[in-house]
Amino acid sequence: MKRPQPATRRQFLRGTGAALGIPFLPSLAAASGETPPKPPLRTAFVYFPNGVWEKDWVPNQTGADYELSPSLAPLKSVKDDFSVLSGLDKKNSHGGDGHYAKTANFLTGMPVAKTTGKDISSGGVSADQLIAQHFADQTPIPSLELGTEPVISGIDSNVGYTRLYGSHISWQTATRPMAKEINPRVVYDRLFGQRNKENADKAKSYRNLLDFVMEDARDIRKRLGRDDQFKMDEYLDSVRSVEKQIEFASSNQPRSWQPSESEKALANLAPGIPSEFPQHIDLMLDLIILAFRTDSTRVASFMFANDVSGRNFSFLDGVKGSHHELSHHENNEKKIAQYQKINQWHVARFARMLEKMKAITEGDGTLLDNSMVMFGSSFSDGNRHDPDNLPILLAGKAGGAIKSGQHLAAEGQVPLCNLYQSMLKANGIELESFGDSNGEFLELAGELA
Amino acid sequence: MPVARNCRSLLVAWLLLVFLSSSTPPLSLADEPDAKSAWEKRYLDQVLPILRDRCAECHAGEEADGPFDLDKFAKATHFDSQADVWEQVGKRLRLNEMPPEGSPGLNDPQKAIVHGWIDATPKQDLCSQLATDETKAWYRGYVMSRRLTRTEYSNAIYDLVGISVPSSAAIPSDGSGGEGFDTAGDALFTSAVHVQRYLEVATQIIDQALSEKPGVRDRLLGDAASVASDQLQRTHTVEVVNQFARKAWRRPVSVDESKRLMSLFDESLSQGNDFTAAVAQPLKAILISPNFLFVVETETPQGGVQRLTDHQMATRLALFLWSSIPDEALLAAADRGELQSEDQILAQTQRMLADDRARALGKNFGLQWLGLNRFETKVKPDAEVFPHFDPSISSDLTEEAVRLVAGIFRQDRSVLELIDSDQVQLNGKLAAYYGYDLPPDADWQSVDNHDHRRGGVLTLGAVLMSASYPRRTSPVLRGRWVLEELLGGHVPPPPPGVPALEESVVAEHQTLRERLEEHRKNPACAACHNRMDPLGFGLENYDALGRWRDSDAGQPIDASGKLPAGESFSGPVQLKQILLQRSDEFEKHLATKMLGFALGRQLNKFDDCVIDDCLELLSQRHHRSSAIIDTIVTSYPFQHRFFKPAVSASK
Repeated sequence: MKRPQPATRRQFLRGTGAALGIPFLPSLAAASGETPPKPPLRTAFVYFPNGVWEKDWVPNQTGADYELSPSLAPLKSVKDDFSVLSGLDKKNSHGGDGHYAKTANFLTGMPVAKTTGKDISSGGVSADQLIAQHFADQTPIPSLELGTEPVISGIDSNVGYTRLYGSHISWQTATRPMAKEINPRVVYDRLFGQRNKENADKAKSYRNLLDFVMEDARDIRKRLGRDDQFKMDEYLDSVRSVEKQIEFASSNQPRSWQPSESEKALANLAPGIPSEFPQHIDLMLDLIILAFRTDSTRVASFMFANDVSGRNFSFLDGVKGSHHELSHHENNEKKIAQYQKINQWHVARFARMLEKMKAITEGDGTLLDNSMVMFGSSFSDGNRHDPDNLPILLAGKAGGAIKSGQHLAAEGQVPLCNLYQSMLKANGIELESFGDSNGEFLELAGELA
Repeated sequence: MPVARNCRSLLVAWLLLVFLSSSTPPLSLADEPDAKSAWEKRYLDQVLPILRDRCAECHAGEEADGPFDLDKFAKATHFDSQADVWEQVGKRLRLNEMPPEGSPGLNDPQKAIVHGWIDATPKQDLCSQLATDETKAWYRGYVMSRRLTRTEYSNAIYDLVGISVPSSAAIPSDGSGGEGFDTAGDALFTSAVHVQRYLEVATQIIDQALSEKPGVRDRLLGDAASVASDQLQRTHTVEVVNQFARKAWRRPVSVDESKRLMSLFDESLSQGNDFTAAVAQPLKAILISPNFLFVVETETPQGGVQRLTDHQMATRLALFLWSSIPDEALLAAADRGELQSEDQILAQTQRMLADDRARALGKNFGLQWLGLNRFETKVKPDAEVFPHFDPSISSDLTEEAVRLVAGIFRQDRSVLELIDSDQVQLNGKLAAYYGYDLPPDADWQSVDNHDHRRGGVLTLGAVLMSASYPRRTSPVLRGRWVLEELLGGHVPPPPPGVPALEESVVAEHQTLRERLEEHRKNPACAACHNRMDPLGFGLENYDALGRWRDSDAGQPIDASGKLPAGESFSGPVQLKQILLQRSDEFEKHLATKMLGFALGRQLNKFDDCVIDDCLELLSQRHHRSSAIIDTIVTSYPFQHRFFKPAVSASK
């Protein structure tokens, strides 16, 4: 049977194979004696739920000579590699009750549709997905969306939101959240599973199957009404994306990544979800580092947990209770102390990530130097749920485009989206505005900006 | 068959007629406008002054609490669009939940006026409006050709191939929408990781089925594999592929589709692959195709409200009752055009409920309704407070819930047994956990529940645990659970600035009960906590692990409570009796939940007539559960849908 269309698309992909370029592997370049290309920029957005105790979070001084606050103390060894950004605000979350209207738009900055189902919307494409779309053809995987928990089920009929809003910060379109990977082994297989030669046959079989179902989907789509066509578009886009991934893997040199001693754990990951939460977190963050190091993707998002997470943090010394319960501290000193310890624990996981990225040499600098890693929560004080004075850190130097090692205190309702606009610009995405931004976050600009 | 059912089927038939000859306006009762305007006048003359006097302090102006804002109702009830608000107002007043304790309540003459007026609420005959041009709009904008949920997908693969999808396949989890279920099409999204997993699972499952498992292989291939001649083998293969596609896609396969599938087979053979590898290709394609993964309800050019085809009905029935795809008997009935009449649909329903797959009503509908579908992974009691807790009991606690709910629907028992029952479902392990006398290795069985400390969903260990904190019980969380999940009430979140006192570390000199009582002295807190807390205190005899206790930290348990309406009770046995008196609220909520699950969308006011039908039949059938299921599967919205005219322009 004649099916010209898919073949044409494949020829197109092959034809542009050269333009796609060989993924950044400085070790290969160095071995062949060529001048290593400038390392690419990698961007990650790391989210944690339930806000922070602000008094122990925001440093007392501003500028480069500030002193780390108690909650930020674990970042001591990387103090020059990140900046504290305080006073940023997310205007479009002020109207929403509770958590959901603040989490779904953490990376979009737009109003979240108040709905328990119909017309779900985060208001816009999230910053990470814009970056993913920008680099889509240059890496095997456009983006990683990682977490540790399945989507929260049920709806909250009291505040009038579906709880899935609390489980997604990455939105491919305003109406389409990206599914999260929570299983480390599956992420590993996604990064490296299709790289070896014996999978070449499988890749061919996959491509035939995908061509077939694509035609099915097009045929069905024609016979659906508009509301349902959107759903078939999601399927079609997803099939295209998987096809591209397979195409990329087979038309480019396979990654010859060899795990170092410390990375052996990743190569030998057991299937399933790790039983210990701290281990789960560290593995997911390690996988992001690995994906960046091997240039498997340029952008990742990670949720420590879904919003309103009731995870029991009694595994920490001095903490007795669950995250969400303690975040509603009611200004009770005993609860605040425990809430703060939980905040600090999250910061320590982040510090470990940055230290690892800093230890990886890349070109003249480190992987961290060539990255931007944003770390934050979708509201400030867990007791009040206020989406102003957000707890935000930005690590890395974006290859010199941003200046790190300072506390920048924004004054007067500066939109968080200004930061995103700057981060997008560093990625080569120039926008007039993003979300509710009213300009760039110029104070961040480094020498190369 | 009861009289009401026949009346209703006549009504449906009549509606169809009205719709088909769409120029006829819907009839309305001749005296309805007069009754309605009299009722409206009564509101303005007698009721509104009382509401202004007693409710306006909180329920008027920009700061009005909740949707009940008297300013909006200053000139009329706006009943047509605000019926749900008035229903809530009536209910809250009747239960004495409003005005809240601490504010001046209604005196007896005022109550008589308001209650009398509420009782005279005109009945809206929305069922007769279903098919008008104006009301069609209510069915627009919902995603109906949705993706199969993770649960449905896994069940369908198992039913088709006989091999379970391994949990390591890590199909992404689904969120919820509509009435709180993952079946809501609007909340089901597809990402690249889904397609990647579908591809991998199909590959793994089909390869495994064709190579490792002789029984499974024969089931898929029949004798196609052993036929000698190539030509004959191909003929057999066509049949194998067609049959598999028909089952997976829940409809007959067209000649063109069959040809396309076989081209995958031919291509693989021509590349030098053997028969098994070649036949695997079309079988895999069938499982990755949107024809399998989506509930494809394709449109017709004319659009509008139409009855589903028999095959679409078969899929809806199977997804509702089995959370899976139709079996051969159901497909064959659809092929023969035998899913048309109510009798035919009800006969299939009865057959399907008897089938083991109907366990899904407990495992899928039941666990989602009770909020227990993440129980095993999410609820983790604190190891320091409960060092002897064995997490492996979680699966038994879940199984108990599944068996309870599934049993009610499969054995056509009274839905009131979901509130209280003479029987509990236990195995040896759970019996030991609850303190019942069974041998440790006893299999699951019904056990007499003489003292009524168990029985019903409320006293399920899993429910009591999930409405506790990791380190202790929470009367507030449990009370809210009863109010929301059992009675369908709404509890707004605490107003900003008001501390949720109960969550704080309990002061040493005060019991939790004392602190909560103090809390309720504040009228802002009392409005909700007076409704929730007593219900929760009635369950204090169960610890945070759901086990019975008579004392806590040396203090005897006080499980007494008093509801705003004045009823007092002590302990869970009496609490369940009080809840049985509110069985109308419970039944309405259960029917709403089940209809939302079955339709996979948010309900609207036109769906209320299906709920009303459920309630009417429930009372006729002595609360037996078939009243709900039979009403839903024969309801207008279950058998019909709005079709937006197909737009053939490709993307």
